[in-house]
Amino acid sequence: MLYLELFIQGLVQGSIYALIALGLTLVYGLLRILHVAHAALFTLGGYIGVIVTNATGSFTLAMVVAMLVVGLAGMLMYKLAYEPLLSQPPYVSLIASIALFIASEEIFRIAFGPYGLSYQTAPLQGHIELFSGFYLKYAEILVMGLSTILMIALAWLSMQTRTGVAWRATVTDPDMARAFGVKIQNVRYLNFFIGSSFAAAAGVLVALLNNLVEPTMGSVASYKALAIIVLGGLGSIRGTLIASLLLGVLESFGTIYIGHLLDRDAIAFAFLILVLMIRPQGLMGGKL
Amino acid sequence: MSYEITLMTTMAISVLFALSLNFITGFCGQISLGHAAFLGAGAYTSAMLSKADVPFLFTIPAAAICAAMLGAIIGLASLRVRHDFLAITTMGVGFLFVGIIRQQDFFGGEIGIAGIPSSGFGKGGFMLICIALALTFAAFSLYVRRSWMGFVFKSIADNEDVTRVLGIDVSRYKLIAFIIGTGTAGVAGALYAHHFRFVGPDSFGFVESISVLAMVIVGGIGSVWGVIFAAALLSVLPMLVQFIDDYKLLFYSGLLFAMMRFSPDGIAGLCTRLFSSIPRRVPDNGGNNR
Amino acid sequence: MTEILHVRDVTVRFGGVYAVQNVDLRINNGELIGFIGPNGAGKTTLMRVITGIVQPQSGRVFLQGVDITDKATHLRIRAGLALAQQIVQPLRALTLLDNVAIACGSDKTRHALKSMWVTDIRSERAQARELLARVGLSHVVDELPGTMPLGYLKRLEVARALALNPRLLLLDEPLAGLSQKEAASLADLIATLNADGQTILLIEHNLREVMRICPTLYVQDNGKSLAFGKTDQVMSDPNVRNAYLGVGHA
Repeated sequence: MLYLELFIQGLVQGSIYALIALGLTLVYGLLRILHVAHAALFTLGGYIGVIVTNATGSFTLAMVVAMLVVGLAGMLMYKLAYEPLLSQPPYVSLIASIALFIASEEIFRIAFGPYGLSYQTAPLQGHIELFSGFYLKYAEILVMGLSTILMIALAWLSMQTRTGVAWRATVTDPDMARAFGVKIQNVRYLNFFIGSSFAAAAGVLVALLNNLVEPTMGSVASYKALAIIVLGGLGSIRGTLIASLLLGVLESFGTIYIGHLLDRDAIAFAFLILVLMIRPQGLMGGKL
Repeated sequence: MSYEITLMTTMAISVLFALSLNFITGFCGQISLGHAAFLGAGAYTSAMLSKADVPFLFTIPAAAICAAMLGAIIGLASLRVRHDFLAITTMGVGFLFVGIIRQQDFFGGEIGIAGIPSSGFGKGGFMLICIALALTFAAFSLYVRRSWMGFVFKSIADNEDVTRVLGIDVSRYKLIAFIIGTGTAGVAGALYAHHFRFVGPDSFGFVESISVLAMVIVGGIGSVWGVIFAAALLSVLPMLVQFIDDYKLLFYSGLLFAMMRFSPDGIAGLCTRLFSSIPRRVPDNGGNNR
Repeated sequence: MTEILHVRDVTVRFGGVYAVQNVDLRINNGELIGFIGPNGAGKTTLMRVITGIVQPQSGRVFLQGVDITDKATHLRIRAGLALAQQIVQPLRALTLLDNVAIACGSDKTRHALKSMWVTDIRSERAQARELLARVGLSHVVDELPGTMPLGYLKRLEVARALALNPRLLLLDEPLAGLSQKEAASLADLIATLNADGQTILLIEHNLREVMRICPTLYVQDNGKSLAFGKTDQVMSDPNVRNAYLGVGHA
């Protein structure tokens, strides 16, 4: 029974990782930028979720507002921070991104205080008993359900719509896509909008699970998400999803069985370094 | 006088630490986001040896060897991976280091190691040792820059694949840069431990790794003088200006972002452009293949 | 004649697709061989097998009789290969002179640790100056590559490869992207290098220049060897004409 519980907890955590890491993979796939500041957008999503819920009493509205606002914020970040740096060597945008992320943590701290915010009345805290002695919180069900729905929506968008086709074409071969009349600029905006709004959803969900948003909530998640996209083989969406769930489950078990050797957050990197030693191209990565 | 001595000592240790990263990142072009782990490895080695009554001066080479050995292991594992991966694996090393230290009572766990014996040279003497070591490594860096090894480093930083096609064993060179850089960070760690007389897991985390990277980048990646200047300045600025101390991280990160946005080659690059009498045409295809 | 390169029965598959299939190629000392084939013929793949960037599923590669199939790229270069790449890749932070000088110093860069104790670069720079003069770049030795036109960078690429003092020089489409005049003059240079004794394998799309300067041709199509021999004989081979011009064109 413990195994099943750990497994489900792992899947819940893994779904969150997947929502965050997806945006990172999209940005890396298109622009080859390691977008550390993605985690700032995740945190922003969490704050908006809590603030809007507390102000209006509607969690659904909060989720929608968070995804829209953060999506736009992501586009703005691309426009102001990354676009001017595209012609520089890769480390420049990486370091700019880290700087942006640290600055945003500080701004959250200064604006909303170091101890963070909570829901006045946290929604979805009830639980159902799946079978005797095994409870699942509504919030946890929502995490798994919503991330599945978002992923399916994304798959539909990229496979079934013209926009999606243009998008995939751009990721595969930007020059060719441009030759076929795809507006690369718009694809990049769309990319940042979708990636950022997914991160916002993850932020709102994490706020719900912990009933807390704090300035530093993005840090560990962000670095871990970087580890995940490397594990998944940088730029591979399928690889990222698999790596997210795998890591969620692995951490869940690891905390119990090797928690005395390594803390939870170090497990991800131990796993990463181990995998890279055996498969330098990541779990699902193609040829180097 | 005592305050000035503390200030100078802090400066010298920061300069040594920043130059050690400059050797890897500036000279050889390998971005490391976990360099504080090697400072930590040196600091813990030195702290624990000192507590076991080993004289301070002997703990320095021990700290260097310990950090360099860790560096060699990490280097062997991560230098063969793709360029973008290295930043993330080194970052991972930083988290692993803190994660392990934190869980082990042997290393003092969360609390860290306090009451490290003094160096035995007095505050002034200790300061001189720190300054001497920082200057020695600065001189060594300047020398390497001029040697064939430095020439190859420059080539690797520029384009690894081309360097390999020129018949050069790129991995070997990268590994050497990594070992020298991490070993020197270990030395800085030994000094750090005896300067603050305390080491704890939080002193060697991601923020410290980024702070030292900020010093290297603000100074001008690869420029020894620029890095010395930036490390000296950034290490003591928060001690001198209270406002900066309150918003230290915001200040550092804002500065780092502004640097990347407006002068990616740092203060050194800024100076070159300001004072260069011959206007040089800036190649506009620096980020080719984008 | 001594044999410099022997590619023996090499096969490379990517997934289920054969990029190179049971290919054999021998190059003797002093030869200049034009390596041609339509797009997708597996030319670049075979080149990469020779330089060690791609590992073949089967077959061996010998350089001067030594099996180099399992050696890393830099060791193959040390064993006598040199490569001028299709996409020019100058070291952008170095002057043209130093781009070549670093290749001239291969004795000094062989052992990483020892290279720390050597600072003298004068003889390498002098040698680099000669090589740059040989490819017609003596007037721009102190410039940075970023300001140079493509034609110059192609020549720099050749000079840098020559600096390694190779037994076999691999040229991967050196004429691509050049104007007709520039291409002809670089082709002349390649012929001159060969006349001076340099063994060269030239991959090239520019048939006109290849037929003009190469006495021997090797043709590959769909990953298979199609023809090898004297240029005029190969070009009159109906199989080659088919592969190149398509059925019914001639």
